[in-house]
Amino acid sequence: MWFAIIIAVLVILFVIFLYNALIAKKNQVINVFGSIDALLKKRYDLIPKLITTVKQYMKHERELLEKITELRAKAVSGQISDDQKVDLENKIAKVLGGIMVAVENYPDLKANQNFLQLQGSMNEVEEQISAARRAYNAAVTDYNNAVEMFPTNILASMMQYKLKKVFEIPDEQRRDIDAEKLFGT
Amino acid sequence: MKTLEELENFYKTNLLPELLELEERRKKLLKKYFVIALGPICIVAVGIFILTKYLNLISEIIFFVLAPCVIATVVICIFITRGYVRDFKILVIDQIVRFIDENLTYYQSRFIPRSVFVASQIFKTKPNRYKGDDYVNGKIGDTQIQFSEIDAKYESGSGKNRSVKTVFKGLFFIADFNKNFKGQTIVLPDAAEKLFGHFGKLLQSWNLVRDQLISLEDPEFEKLFVVYGSDQVEARYILSTSLMKRIIDFREKTNRNMYLSFVGSKVFVAVPYTRNLFEPRIFKTVVDFEPIKEYYEDLLLAVGIVDDLNLNTRIWSKN
Repeated sequence: MWFAIIIAVLVILFVIFLYNALIAKKNQVINVFGSIDALLKKRYDLIPKLITTVKQYMKHERELLEKITELRAKAVSGQISDDQKVDLENKIAKVLGGIMVAVENYPDLKANQNFLQLQGSMNEVEEQISAARRAYNAAVTDYNNAVEMFPTNILASMMQYKLKKVFEIPDEQRRDIDAEKLFGT
Repeated sequence: MKTLEELENFYKTNLLPELLELEERRKKLLKKYFVIALGPICIVAVGIFILTKYLNLISEIIFFVLAPCVIATVVICIFITRGYVRDFKILVIDQIVRFIDENLTYYQSRFIPRSVFVASQIFKTKPNRYKGDDYVNGKIGDTQIQFSEIDAKYESGSGKNRSVKTVFKGLFFIADFNKNFKGQTIVLPDAAEKLFGHFGKLLQSWNLVRDQLISLEDPEFEKLFVVYGSDQVEARYILSTSLMKRIIDFREKTNRNMYLSFVGSKVFVAVPYTRNLFEPRIFKTVVDFEPIKEYYEDLLLAVGIVDDLNLNTRIWSKN
């Protein structure tokens, strides 16, 4: 009699443990996604500074600068869906990359203290975004593992937890940035 | 980077004269050992003779005569060796350090302070028997570095229950890291994963003493190391894919279980050694090139960490 009760209590405790673990994993995904958002905002804030510093030197790059201003405005407007967000992100990254490549043609700009500091900050934010993406993928993998593996998969299907998607780098970005293509001859 | 040939030339022109002098001192030292040992040996021999022949009190009294003589001999020998060792280091090791890089300074008896050792958070046991020597500091390129040999032990209990555990013995290295960060990230050699695989990982994540477990994507890195950190994103910012590869390569180069930590915008590297580094030979000749090469390679290993971990690449907001 007592034996049965003890077993029942242990089973309940075990289920609570699994339940909490699942919730924790789900929340971790949300948490890291929040970090990504915060870092993206940091990048957006750097863009206007970049434009002011670069504008005086890069007289021939007007198109690029206009493009980035336009993309940034869209990104901070807040009226875009999550999918559009990701797409926008990739576009911004590409144009930013193009600007940095174009800087190579302006030795005065390259030596400018303001620009160098800005470049450092941009490199930093890009790496932090990359780190956040990796952390997000790790959190999602952990969560997906719990949703699919036994015994948590039973609980997961009861709670209607679905698999989440990891951040994928689109093929476009994987290929080396073709500077000429970017400048649009 | 200096070549081996340059080292040999340096050895021939700058070191050889000092080494020859030191060789003379070494030989004198050995003679002194002999003489010092001679006294007690005679006493012991006579003592044993007398005691066994005339008094028949063999075991205990032999012990009372033998042991103090041996101990006294050893202590005196250690004492007179110190001067030789110190002078050797000041004349030879110091030169090798400056040969490697002019911006480095060698201090024979200084060492990384215990507070700094503990602040690295690599070893959770705080050592109560802490000593070291052979301290070097300076700048390699843009990176400020310091390192020394450390022998840290933890002694517990007293009398019969006394036990001494080695916390860390080897080379302890500190450098400015090339990125800014706020929390801490600790990289330890991974025993559990090797033994227990997936289950080992689960056990590691339950660790109560450390921060949260950070699972990284590089499978080779994960096999060798386990990472704990205060922040998942920051740990990955520090441990970029390229840095992870560099750490793996460095570990292969040293072939030792190294420990790293990233705390207070600095990187700490602990490379365990069982032997004492930079010690002069006493019972073999010191004039050879072989030991010089060994000192050089040991120093180069430490100094080379800057290049191995690419610390002089400063393209972020820290300079």
